[in-house]
Amino acid sequence: MSSFTSDIVIGLEVHVELNTKTKLFCSCPTKGNEEPNTRVCPVCLGHPGSKPVLNRKAVEFALKLCTALNSKISSELVFSRKSYFYPDMSKNYQITQYEIPLGAGGALSLKEGREIALKRVHMEEDPASLVHSSGMQESGCVLVDYNRSGNPLIEIVTEPCLASPEEARDFMKQLITVLSYLEIFDENHGIIKADANVSVRESGYVRVEVKNITGFREIERALSYEVVRQKSEAGHGRKLAHETRSWDSARGITFALRKKEAEEDYGYIIDPDLVISEIGSEWIENIRNEMPELAQDKVRKFIEKYKIGREDAQILASEKALAEMFEKVAGAVDPELAAKWLRRELLRVLNYSRKSLDEVGITEKHMIDLLRLVQEKKITDNVASRLLEKLVENAFDIVSYVKKEALEAVSDADVLEKYCIEAIKENPVAVEDYRKGEAKSLNFIVGQVMRKTKGKAAPKEVNEIILRILNESQ
Amino acid sequence: MNAAEFSKKVRSSEIDIVEHIHKVIEKCRKINNDFNYFNTISDELAIKQAHEIRNQIKNKDNNIQSKKLLGIAVSVKDSICVQGVESTAGSRILKGYRPLFDASVVRKVREQGGIIIGKTSQDEFGFGGFSVNVGVGFKTPKNPFDPERSCGGSSGGAGGIVQKADFPHIALGESTGGSIAAPASFCGVFGLCPTYGRVSRYGLIDFGNSLDKIGSMGKTVDDTALLLDVIAGHDALDSTSLNAPKEDYGSRLGKGAGRMKIGIIKEAFEEGNDPEVESKVNEGIEKLKENGMECEEISLKLPIRYGLSVYYMIATSEASTNLAKYCGMRYGAAEKLEGNFNEYFSKVRSHNLGDEAKRRIIIGTFARMSGFRDAYYIKAAKVRTLIIQEYRKAFKKFDALVSPSVPILPPKFSDIEKLTPLQNYMADILLVGPNIAGLPHLNVPVGFEKGLPVGMLLTGDHLQEGKLLQIGSIFGERK
Repeated sequence: MSSFTSDIVIGLEVHVELNTKTKLFCSCPTKGNEEPNTRVCPVCLGHPGSKPVLNRKAVEFALKLCTALNSKISSELVFSRKSYFYPDMSKNYQITQYEIPLGAGGALSLKEGREIALKRVHMEEDPASLVHSSGMQESGCVLVDYNRSGNPLIEIVTEPCLASPEEARDFMKQLITVLSYLEIFDENHGIIKADANVSVRESGYVRVEVKNITGFREIERALSYEVVRQKSEAGHGRKLAHETRSWDSARGITFALRKKEAEEDYGYIIDPDLVISEIGSEWIENIRNEMPELAQDKVRKFIEKYKIGREDAQILASEKALAEMFEKVAGAVDPELAAKWLRRELLRVLNYSRKSLDEVGITEKHMIDLLRLVQEKKITDNVASRLLEKLVENAFDIVSYVKKEALEAVSDADVLEKYCIEAIKENPVAVEDYRKGEAKSLNFIVGQVMRKTKGKAAPKEVNEIILRILNESQ
Repeated sequence: MNAAEFSKKVRSSEIDIVEHIHKVIEKCRKINNDFNYFNTISDELAIKQAHEIRNQIKNKDNNIQSKKLLGIAVSVKDSICVQGVESTAGSRILKGYRPLFDASVVRKVREQGGIIIGKTSQDEFGFGGFSVNVGVGFKTPKNPFDPERSCGGSSGGAGGIVQKADFPHIALGESTGGSIAAPASFCGVFGLCPTYGRVSRYGLIDFGNSLDKIGSMGKTVDDTALLLDVIAGHDALDSTSLNAPKEDYGSRLGKGAGRMKIGIIKEAFEEGNDPEVESKVNEGIEKLKENGMECEEISLKLPIRYGLSVYYMIATSEASTNLAKYCGMRYGAAEKLEGNFNEYFSKVRSHNLGDEAKRRIIIGTFARMSGFRDAYYIKAAKVRTLIIQEYRKAFKKFDALVSPSVPILPPKFSDIEKLTPLQNYMADILLVGPNIAGLPHLNVPVGFEKGLPVGMLLTGDHLQEGKLLQIGSIFGERK
């Protein structure tokens, strides 16, 4: 009956808020005053006599996404009216694309390289937001804030070919990476939401729609819950309902909204207020020429040009700012060293301080200065890590700071040998233990030398000197 | 005295504009008591505008010289928004709604010194050809020549006040399927419905967005051309507005129209016309010939055979989405807040929309439902394209086409009541063609029968308003 082969079948409809300055059909700002109903006009309030005028910038952003996703761009720009009554709708119809979406087909690669096929990419306007002052169930009334009404959205619809909640999460993550490379989505403040169609083999693939999932972390939670629920229902021999459910993030569950006996009828007509216009090949050509390198291009380039491993390349490319920094640093110091330090140490300290790269003052100059010192063995890895931790707090000039604080590595062999002899003399018990075969005791002696040099000695070198002295004195 | 001559006298202070407008308002009130041409008389706005103009004249403001409508009273169909003046499109569901902005046409009229005297009565949202489908609690305008009869619709109030006003006045009307030419015909005035997109719809309360056109109605062809001249042109606020150069319509008037080729639409004379209408229109055609125009019969099958069906599918589909926004939130009529939103919206719409509005919402919603969409809405759009093609072919040969505007004399209200909805829609049979094809058309008054006016319809190719006015000017002033 079903042609599905995987255990779990998931299709996503992802809604992304484009970060244009103004709304899709009027000149109200999309951001700014958060006081309810302040960024509104007759158009986004649906007043009689008002007419929509299309924001070309939003179309340009959407065209960039279509190009990045290899989605076939329609030759005509057509908008339709999707009619349904709801209190968040200013006109009781939504201007969207139906008959002819902006982009048809296309694909997005998951981290492991598997391509997820897309059905379509289309544009639409956001409805207003509803505020239930005391929770959705209890409130006797609902307040409507039209600040969001008319914001530009882009919807990406996948084929039902995601095979697990983890894949769904990865899809969202890869999509966000593309969006941020294109600079058409505000990763910090923009909204990305998904509706998911989920079914499992055990139920004979009865399709359930889960609505209202915000962000890529939530998608895995919501879908994991839903998959377990469906499998358990089917396992108990209960027949699954073809229905729409909503994700309640606070309670971590999905709950039934309505049964889907028949598809809803939105009575689409082409919006007669917006002329059907041609998307000229010249416009598409300009978009193509302006396309930035995307994450996947970067991965390929990092592997080929800088000879770093695929995993390192993928992690470095997953964030635009990090990828751009890597390219600059890899041009100035050993690329392998640059990859190791950006991927491991820089991300470690950023994670630890819970900050993103664009929130801290670390520039490529800092990284180049730092890694040149490491590469030339002027400072130890240990010192470099500490400097990086300090840099996250506030920026400073690396070279002069190292000078001022006398952090250069102790590399003079005679000086190092002096410290090693001292350490051996001061720790006879450890020396004895080592000779008895306790290898760990050697580390203790090395540690003592490191302490004496305030971490400015290279551990490997110290290790060698101590071994030599101990062997000689046997 | 036509409008342009009057403006000169205002400019030279021969006429005191404030005194004049007070008198105009008084006259409008009086006429309105008997004929119901206004839903709202905007006396405050009119008097304020008159004072501004008087001050400008006193201060010898140079801008006064170039204002094309200086001191002219302009009435505005109720469906066209005037900032701060109740604008309801003749519907109780918009009772109390005062727009936050002027429609682009109203802005242009005001910039040219035109004085807004009020909002004229109409079928609710334009849904009718006789102005009897007014909204709940609204009054039906009466024919200026016989108050027992209709003044046509849906711009009925506009047609009536143009005929009845004995002061310089021009009206802003609106046509979706014949709503300018029909009342112009029944009221014996000129009515020009321009090419779709020639005049901005920004600020027009929508009926069928792909069909709606704002136009001008005047007692003389000069007045009609003058107002069109002011309102025509591109407007960035209306995406369907045409960005084509605008003609100087006035310069064509009275130039004769010899050598023009006129097509007499065969099917428009075959059946269903009142004999009185037909004989007067034939006299009009004789006059065209006398003036040197070459008249020849042409067969146009599609507009009359399929026009009404296409029109009602497209217009009601669009209208049913346009009217969805009226639900008792944000503006207009409201009811006691009870039940869930669906119950509340239904209550507001049940109480405040008239029968014809409900009928058209139901027809239009049906025509766009999945399963029926292809058979009705999509098919209608395809036939519409064929109709446009048939007209275009005709205009390769002819400068204008001729038919009666409406096949009948203005009917009595008591007879209209007996009509089925379909018979009612038939009154527009000759007018829907040019309207669905977006072609400019002009009603020319060609005389009276039984004391009632008869109108002849001139239809031109896209953007050929100038030609129509040029031909119309042969018929001179009607008063």
